[in-house]
Amino acid sequence: MRKILKKLLSAAVSLVLAGASMTSGTVRAASPDETYNYDIWGEAIPSQAGYVPDRAVSGKDLGVGSFDDPNDIFLAGDDTFYIADTKNDRIVTADSKLSHSQGIYQTFTMPDGSETELSMPKGVYVSDYTGYIYIADSENGRVLVARKDSTVVLEVKMPQSELYTAPTFKPQKVIADKAGNIYVALGNITTGSAMFSPKGEFMGFYGANRVQPTAEIIGSFIRRLFLTEEKRLRRTRSVPTGITGFDIDGDFIYTCTASSTQKTDTVKKLNAAGKNIFAEKKISFGDNRPMYDASKNILMEPAITDIDISADGCINCLDYTTGRVFQYDDECGLLFITGAKSDQLGGFTAPAAVESFGNCLYVVDSAKDTITVFRETAFGAAVHKANSLYNAGYYEEALEPWYEVLRHDGNYRRANIGVASALLRKGDYKGAMKYAKLAGSPDIYNKAFEGYRREFIRSHFTAIILTVTGISAAAVILHRRKKRRTSRKEK
Amino acid sequence: MLDLTQRQWVKHAVVHPVEGFEDMRWKKSGSLKISLLILVLLFFAQIAHSRLYGFQFGMPNDKTFSIVPYFVRSFVLFGAWVVGNWAVCTLLDGEGTARNICIYSSYALIPYIVQLFVNVGLSHILIQDEAVFMQAVTIIGTAWSVLLMFNAIRSVHQYSALKTFAAIALTIAAMLIMLFLLVLFLSLIQQVWIFVSTVYTEIFYRTRT
Repeated sequence: MRKILKKLLSAAVSLVLAGASMTSGTVRAASPDETYNYDIWGEAIPSQAGYVPDRAVSGKDLGVGSFDDPNDIFLAGDDTFYIADTKNDRIVTADSKLSHSQGIYQTFTMPDGSETELSMPKGVYVSDYTGYIYIADSENGRVLVARKDSTVVLEVKMPQSELYTAPTFKPQKVIADKAGNIYVALGNITTGSAMFSPKGEFMGFYGANRVQPTAEIIGSFIRRLFLTEEKRLRRTRSVPTGITGFDIDGDFIYTCTASSTQKTDTVKKLNAAGKNIFAEKKISFGDNRPMYDASKNILMEPAITDIDISADGCINCLDYTTGRVFQYDDECGLLFITGAKSDQLGGFTAPAAVESFGNCLYVVDSAKDTITVFRETAFGAAVHKANSLYNAGYYEEALEPWYEVLRHDGNYRRANIGVASALLRKGDYKGAMKYAKLAGSPDIYNKAFEGYRREFIRSHFTAIILTVTGISAAAVILHRRKKRRTSRKEK
Repeated sequence: MLDLTQRQWVKHAVVHPVEGFEDMRWKKSGSLKISLLILVLLFFAQIAHSRLYGFQFGMPNDKTFSIVPYFVRSFVLFGAWVVGNWAVCTLLDGEGTARNICIYSSYALIPYIVQLFVNVGLSHILIQDEAVFMQAVTIIGTAWSVLLMFNAIRSVHQYSALKTFAAIALTIAAMLIMLFLLVLFLSLIQQVWIFVSTVYTEIFYRTRT
């Protein structure tokens, strides 16, 4: 009896100790949601956090009074944040640490000397090449191009062109390229973003989405062939959804489309000709399988509402439905999933815009009226370092960083692929086979196996030849003996 | 002449595609035990072929493994073949009994089964560029089995070649009808079961109060 009691007691003590060491030993990220990633089968598996919420910054923290429905954030080349504080009709600037405001843009001086005010500015962009501020002044129906001293250079209004058939002009987001061409996302316009020359002339549309050929749309197209003109006019038209947000990185413009029904072209990388480079990749951005919310009885279809390209080329996609930031590398490989829909720090109610700077992510929530700052974890830093080396082709240099990633998360598939590729390049075929198997990559395994087989045959050549000749000789002798025996029997 | 043991008969039937089954019939040979063993081997060969393949030729998802499709593809399909062939050929003046059809057909499957196992072995030695050798093995094994199956049916029923073709076509049709009826029957049983359980629950609740 005493023995049993002793055993029980020691078990209880060890349990408590184990629990204590778990809470103190491992530093758990304070994230409101479980972090996950996708395995090769497209199933969600637990993973380490690449980013953890650091703090939330409100307008009061910046000393400018609280924000009201902020819709956009942009980091200019001189490390200044520009925040479109929509319902306060102003643009707030802040330093790169988001500690204090550096000024507010509310009124601008027109070229003729008159004053003009902003009304519901929804998007802001600052060009490094022209140095101008571009503001999507939505309720005024214009795009303002102004110098940093609040003098307006150009006012882009609704184009008077036959091509522009929409009754309204309400800019949502705006960007400008190197040459100073202005691109305006218009939300309800399905033919792409409106493009203007540096002088404000309408040049046409750019980068329209495609219609996804679903069974319903093909069916309605066939039915349409047999309808009269009158019936045809009354049917719903199948048109693609308009562009929601974009970002520019060098010569490429990335667009995103927040639509819960559209699956194609939710994220695009457009070249100067307006061709989507991601079109052939067949990747669905956002959650692979939409989560089902039983409490609201809705399927949480991804709706990518904003996109940002960080300095190292990573693509950050902000999903409005789940409040998650999906970070992809420049080859569209999923790196991290961060964020949630919740009231805690790191969760959002109505996420509106995402921006990145250094090793931080900034997400604007238009309902909470805050900017949440996410900080990169040690794991995130290791993945970024290894991944950028790997994508640049430095497989062997990336080996150590990938091992570091695997020490944090042994399930991280890209790390296994990275290690397998590096070992293959080094000529360690056996190790490459092991990691290729873990990564689930038959193609890398195939190459490693080819090398392994070649080495095996080379080193065991005499043994192989001896066994083959020995076996065949034995078979011939046995066969002959058998024949002799049967022929003797028959005699 | 041809005083062979049951095991030697298996070899004889497989390596003499044209005359083997005629000889077997003439000597009234063939073992049901060996036939069942061949079926079990077919079952395991199919599992090995999709599970134990070399990793360079793709990887199976272990999370979604289910034994049922393999069971259907070996035992159920073969059973349907035997029953269907027996049913069709009894009407078409065939001489084969259900036992003989089962034995002869299973002997005819041996090259196919061997091909599956050989390919599993080869997949651990070859690389993707050399997959053509595995394809060759597959084609030879399958063609051999088809030839054997044709001659098995021909000799077990003592048909002409043309009649054998017709019988095989009708057998496949009979198999489809059987499987269709099976599915229909299962869904019907399910509905009857739901009805019975609903009535039972209803009565149970009424009597309790």
